[in-house]
Amino acid sequence: MAEGACIGLAVVLAGVTVQAALGPVVWERLAWPVNVVALAIFVAAVLLGRALSGRVYLLRFLTTAGAAVPALAYAIVLTIVMGLTRQRPDGHWFSQMLTFWPFVLTYTYIALLLGLLTLKRLTHLSSWRRDVPFLLNHAGLLIAMVAATLGSGDMQRLRMEVFSGTPERRAMTEEQSVVRLPMTIELQRFILETYDDGSPRRYASEIIVQRDGEAPLHLTTDVNRPAEAYGWKIYQYGYDARFVASDRQTSVLELVRDPWLPAVYTGIYMMLAGAVLLLFGLQSKASERL
Amino acid sequence: MTWDSFFYFAAAAVLLWTFGAIAAWKGRERGTFVCTVAGLAVFAAYIIGMWVTLQRPPLRTMGETRLWYSLFLPLAGLIVYGRWRYRWILSFSTMLSTVFVCVNLFKPEIHTKTLMPALQSPWFAPHVIVYMFAYALLGAATLMAVYYLFRLPDKRAMASVDNLVGVGLAFMTFGMLFGALWAKEAWGHYWTWDPKETWAAITWFTYLAYIHYRLVPTHRPRRALALLLLAFVLLQMCWWGINYLPAAQGGAHSY
Repeated sequence: MAEGACIGLAVVLAGVTVQAALGPVVWERLAWPVNVVALAIFVAAVLLGRALSGRVYLLRFLTTAGAAVPALAYAIVLTIVMGLTRQRPDGHWFSQMLTFWPFVLTYTYIALLLGLLTLKRLTHLSSWRRDVPFLLNHAGLLIAMVAATLGSGDMQRLRMEVFSGTPERRAMTEEQSVVRLPMTIELQRFILETYDDGSPRRYASEIIVQRDGEAPLHLTTDVNRPAEAYGWKIYQYGYDARFVASDRQTSVLELVRDPWLPAVYTGIYMMLAGAVLLLFGLQSKASERL
Repeated sequence: MTWDSFFYFAAAAVLLWTFGAIAAWKGRERGTFVCTVAGLAVFAAYIIGMWVTLQRPPLRTMGETRLWYSLFLPLAGLIVYGRWRYRWILSFSTMLSTVFVCVNLFKPEIHTKTLMPALQSPWFAPHVIVYMFAYALLGAATLMAVYYLFRLPDKRAMASVDNLVGVGLAFMTFGMLFGALWAKEAWGHYWTWDPKETWAAITWFTYLAYIHYRLVPTHRPRRALALLLLAFVLLQMCWWGINYLPAAQGGAHSY
């Protein structure tokens, strides 16, 4: 474990150095195609690490629990610091943990350990009852983490205010710049149902989505039930209470596009299956003992 | 069913659980099971009644989640008893459950019928119920850790702690990932490092650290048990501690 603690500390210190020299991580730079290059480098590093593990003790050590525990410990400490510090976009170091190099490198190091471990297990299969849950849990977490991180640069989240009677094409990014979409959205009807005390029970928008030269789509987007059109998920984001009863209704929508989502979901479903098998595995282990 | 009748159901359930715990001490297995299951049935009947009256699952407020925790603790205790026959586990789980019942009696929170649109989802009940069950199992694991921290933990005791943590962690994984899938439908993204998510990740990683530490050949069982105590403190932070944390105000999870 002492070796693991030293390596983890080296990762954190390397992060501090990079942070001091280059400033915070700029996630926007990780957009396509840079993220695919980063993925290729990561995969190559894991494959190379696996290939050299016969000769290099350190690489063998990285697949032991003695390496995993300190790596988790560093991640836990950094994440606790994040949890205790108010995170804000104009903050520095601790108050912008997601762009803090030691944090990012520690999680990258965990991904590297998971990658080496997955490959080692794949090349040393013994019994499917133990290997399948192991691989689902470890590879699932690896896939979900890596896809979510590398995909973040390609994700688009736009806000759009739509009006009745006027097809709208413009949407706003989180940085408040205007984007023109290849489709228009028009509000057909805004629905607001309330409880007896006046608090909203349901609010939803009936919308018409039309892409140039194609037939219009009539969709409904509810809170918790986004509509889908042309690769976008369309969320009911909010509404302006002043205009609900007026002739000119409005509704605020959020449009999200995340091309890496299927990969993240693959990882999530693998982890869910792994957790189910973990339960069965524990059960059989317990019955063996009794 | 309203909050007013809670006292009667809770008192009956706690009484039955106490009889069950006493029967366990005396080595009367049938009495243990009959009393504890009867207590669970009474308490569950109250929760179902609340569910019907409120016309929504009683899972929204802290008081409502404490109801489920009070139910799941003796259930987790009974499962442990059923498997390993620890005489003391039901006394501990009954005691802890009673504490949560008392908190709900002395500090009942407003329980209205309204359920805002953000919480109207088929994911709502599984997400919270699975988490509460995980918390109860990990609570039982913590009780065992405290118990064995002052004795010499033998192999058999450590194995049962490992199993409890394993099951608890599996349910915690369900809770977290159901939450991620729900967040994608409700908020547009599966993970936003909202304070609740940040602390859920911390808790999840800490239980992972326990499981991996137990695999280190040179580890010390007592340190592993101490790590479980730390993990449970972090779990409390995730569950309700962040409500009092200035840095964590205004997250997406505040209802």
